[in-house]
Order: sequence, then structure tokens, then C-alpha cells
Amino acid sequence: MTEHQSIYLALAAVLFAVGAFGALTRKNAIVVFLCVEIMLGAVNLVFIVFASANQSAEGLFMVMCVMAVAGAEAAVGLAIFVHLYRKTGTINIDKYNLLKW
Amino acid sequence: METMAILFLGVLAIATAFLVIFSKNTVHSALWMVGNCFVLAVLFLMLNSQFIAILQVIVYAGAIMMFILYAIMMLNLRREQDEGDPRKNLVTGRILLVLLFFTGLVIMGVGFSPIALKGRMASQAVAQFGEVNLIADYIFSEGLIPFELVSVLLTAAVVGAVYIAKKN
Repeated sequence: MTEHQSIYLALAAVLFAVGAFGALTRKNAIVVFLCVEIMLGAVNLVFIVFASANQSAEGLFMVMCVMAVAGAEAAVGLAIFVHLYRKTGTINIDKYNLLKW
Repeated sequence: METMAILFLGVLAIATAFLVIFSKNTVHSALWMVGNCFVLAVLFLMLNSQFIAILQVIVYAGAIMMFILYAIMMLNLRREQDEGDPRKNLVTGRILLVLLFFTGLVIMGVGFSPIALKGRMASQAVAQFGEVNLIADYIFSEGLIPFELVSVLLTAAVVGAVYIAKKN
């Protein structure tokens, strides 16, 4: 397991970087949302790698918490997108400048 | 053997992540995200976390992604982008379907193969059924307060989502 650990960690880092890249570059709000989910998946992978290496249940419990938070985030985020779509007729995040000073 | 499997799955995960980002159609992005969830579930299985892998498939791929797909289809984003050739869409749809099918086969193969139950976590506790006993012991002893807080968070999120999305 230890010799594969670096591969898993490198993979998680790359996945996180890809998700961050997508979240920063795409204009479609739902795709930005999916990129955040990719980042959460990469973090879950790191948690499970270290839980497996230390043989502890804490990392696994954290993964379950992250999944619950992702579900809550999906519910609230998509409700916000539906509301904004009704108000502005688009989900392009560049058009959302309501809070811009 | 295991290194090759990890590298293959890693390439698959990164490729699906890039396809999520670079798909023109939002529905395609969401479907590639489902594929990414499946690949991550296979990686969790290879790390001897059967229960988390099952949760990944049921909660992420089954519940959250279907929720996002429903939201995408409610928003009717089709008119913002050009249709393209429907025959081309059919071909990409078939490729997607075949890829998802093979990913499912890989999940089942890794889940049933001997490498799923070997490794350092395969102690007596794990040998009974995955690591569910470990997680349950942790949740209902040390992790009780965070566990209850998570349930409060989910309730608050659902109430808030209904309130925000309500027509007024």
C-alpha cells in the first residue's frame, strides 16, 4: 500500500487542480458546480488514502461528512440557480453582477 | 498489476474530469461527472473501502448527479447552444453508454476480485464486512456529535432549498 500511496496522492492533486481549473474558467454555473464536485472527490480520495494507511475510521467518517455537505450544497446551489434563472433568464455567471459594487 | 490498474484508473479519472470541463452540452458534462464518480468508486474499492465505494455510487452517482441532471433539464438551456448534427450526438451517446457500461464492469470486477479484500486494512474487523463495523463504532461513539450536526445541516439545507426555489 505504501508504494502506491504516492500515486494516489498525485492523482488526487491532479484531479483537484483540474477541478479548480474548470471552476475558474467555465462560464456555465452548473459546470462550475460540477467542477467543485470534482474537487470534493479528489479530497475524498486523499481522506481514504490516509484512512487506509493509518487503519483508522476517522478519515472514512470525514468522507461521509463531505458527501453530506456535497448533498446539501447541491440542494441549496441548484435552488439558487433555478431562482436566478427565473429572475435573469441565464445561468452565465458573468451575468450575475447583482452584488457587484 | 495493481500499479497498472491504479495508473489506468487515474488516467480515466483525469480524462473524465477534463471531459466534464470541455463538454459543450451541460447534460454531457453531468453524465461525464457520473463516469468520474464511478472511477473514483473503483479507486475507493482498491483502497479497501467497500462501504465508501457503495456510498459513492449510491449517493454521488445515484442521488446528487440525478438531482443536478433534473435541475439542468428544468432550466431548458438548449436554446442557448446550437443543436448540431443529431447523428453525431447519437454516436457520442453510444460511446458514452459503452464507456459507462465498461466502467460498471470494472467496478464489479474489482469488487469481486481478490485484490478488493487484500491489503493492510484486511484485519479481522474488515474481514467480516468491509469496514462498516469500524465506521459504525466510530460514528456512535466519538463521532456522535458531528454525525448529529450533519443531520441538522441536511435538514437546514433542504428547508432552505425549498424556500429559495419557491415561486413568490
